[in-house]
Amino acid sequence: MRLSPLAKAVLHILNVIVIALLLLPIGAAIIASLQSEVMLRGDLRSVIPRDVTWDNYKILFAGDESREGTIYSGIAYLPDAIRRFGTALVNSSIIAVAVTLLTLTFGSLTAYSVARLRLRWLGWFMGLNVFARFVPIVVLIIPLYVAFRQLGLVNSLPGVIIAQTGFLLPFGILILVPYFASIPTEIEEAARIDGASRFTTFMRISLPLSVPILISLGAIVFIASWNDLLVPLILNTKPDLMTVPVVLVSLIGDNAVFFGLLCACSLIAMLPTVALVMLLQRYVVEGLTAGAVKA
Amino acid sequence: MNVPTLFTFLCVLAYPALFAAYLALHQVTLKQLRSGEYPFVGLANVIKLFVDPLFLISLSNTAVFAIFTVTAEIVLAIAIALLINQSSVWTSRITRVLILLPFAVPPIANGLIWTFIYDYNGGFLNRILLSTGLAESPIHWLGNPDTAIYAVGVPYIWRTLPFCVLLVHAALQGMSRDYYEAAAIDGASAWQRFWAITLPMLRPVIVVLLILRTASAVVVFDEILALTGGGPGDATWVAAWYSYRKSFQPPFDLGLGAASAYALAVIIGLLSLIYIRLIYRRAEGT
Repeated sequence: MRLSPLAKAVLHILNVIVIALLLLPIGAAIIASLQSEVMLRGDLRSVIPRDVTWDNYKILFAGDESREGTIYSGIAYLPDAIRRFGTALVNSSIIAVAVTLLTLTFGSLTAYSVARLRLRWLGWFMGLNVFARFVPIVVLIIPLYVAFRQLGLVNSLPGVIIAQTGFLLPFGILILVPYFASIPTEIEEAARIDGASRFTTFMRISLPLSVPILISLGAIVFIASWNDLLVPLILNTKPDLMTVPVVLVSLIGDNAVFFGLLCACSLIAMLPTVALVMLLQRYVVEGLTAGAVKA
Repeated sequence: MNVPTLFTFLCVLAYPALFAAYLALHQVTLKQLRSGEYPFVGLANVIKLFVDPLFLISLSNTAVFAIFTVTAEIVLAIAIALLINQSSVWTSRITRVLILLPFAVPPIANGLIWTFIYDYNGGFLNRILLSTGLAESPIHWLGNPDTAIYAVGVPYIWRTLPFCVLLVHAALQGMSRDYYEAAAIDGASAWQRFWAITLPMLRPVIVVLLILRTASAVVVFDEILALTGGGPGDATWVAAWYSYRKSFQPPFDLGLGAASAYALAVIIGLLSLIYIRLIYRRAEGT
């Protein structure tokens, strides 16, 4: 079907509108992050700033000494959490990497056995898995908090890692099972005849064949962990253990809102995940659609 | 091989789920947490919950939020998926890449950015309206109790659209072109082709989206925390916000919080049962 020039023009316009809406919050954040608080408060009408400053970003990484920058003349108070931003970036990275590795390891072990061993209770297991996907974290976080308190897992990075892995595993297993099941058993049987154990077959044959889906899952799990707010917010109250989203939360509700600083933080917070999505576009699309359709 | 998974499941999913039921039936506030003894109170928490006007308001706010966002998500997802499916239009290919962007943005970062967009004094939207002359005076986007819940819904929809669009787009790509060519030969307009062919074939994916997105909308949290904190008044108190506030801010009533979270879980459980039944029916059909 060929499109008429008029239809094409309409489609171009629609695309421009959609793209503008997709970029609107990012654009707004960039504009705000490049302005001083004085500028933002001084002119409430113009969209494009006349002056541009990098001070918001400098403050985030320079620590204490440059906190009296040019952008806050007259404002002595700055949210304390800003000082934790560097630590938070490290914490978030440790947690996200650990959760990704654990989910991939546990998930592929379980998914492989579900796909290959035809045990009766596995049907139930998969049903429960689908069910677990729907149980909202808000529901589990309260008892989890009480339980982790007793186990001494609150205020620790491992606590957050264990909790997030548990919440993301059902999703991982749901994605991996159909994929493992689609690998022809003949290849594995050939290896088994040659004397390889089941575990060796899994490591040497099934896993290498599953690299694309593991990349998809890994990317999605990393993003989910990096973006997660509720688990670290509730399990960790120590400032040293804050993750990036928790630092972001602590910037609101204080005496004054620093929009420039807030937008700078938000933009840096999304940098790793946006980079990941743009680099691994095809894998992310694959993983997201596989998770919902092939349940 | 299943031991690590089972252990994690027990620790993080099964145990808390059962423990939540236990907490809901006991009195658990800061005092009890310190002493380690939780007196049994039976259904008192559940009763307290359902006579609390704030909880009922939260439920109705949640329903409004879910209906608004899920409808918008599905309609927009179909429209945008159709748009990016036009591979001969070069701008569509740009949209197809950029549509993924919101998926990567941390919900809380998105929420905070929108506090700047919505701000009354010098917020981005008001700047656009004032500098282009579309409005005489700034608009209080989040301040109107009647519309605040919709204002909170917009950033939420912005963030969740990629997933919906991708699902619809995947379904569109699985469709055979033959139907369309046959219909075009018969003289069907694009509009007729959409209603007679595309929409019926999208039905399964729409059902999936309906359930998945509703389950996600009823537990919305990050945007509420970032943008309104439940306000103005109780206009944006939603169910998850209720559980959080009752449990982790004064009065730190974890029993009540657990009871409210359980009520929410029952609603979502019903939704997921429907979902599982639909999947199994689909699996049998093919």
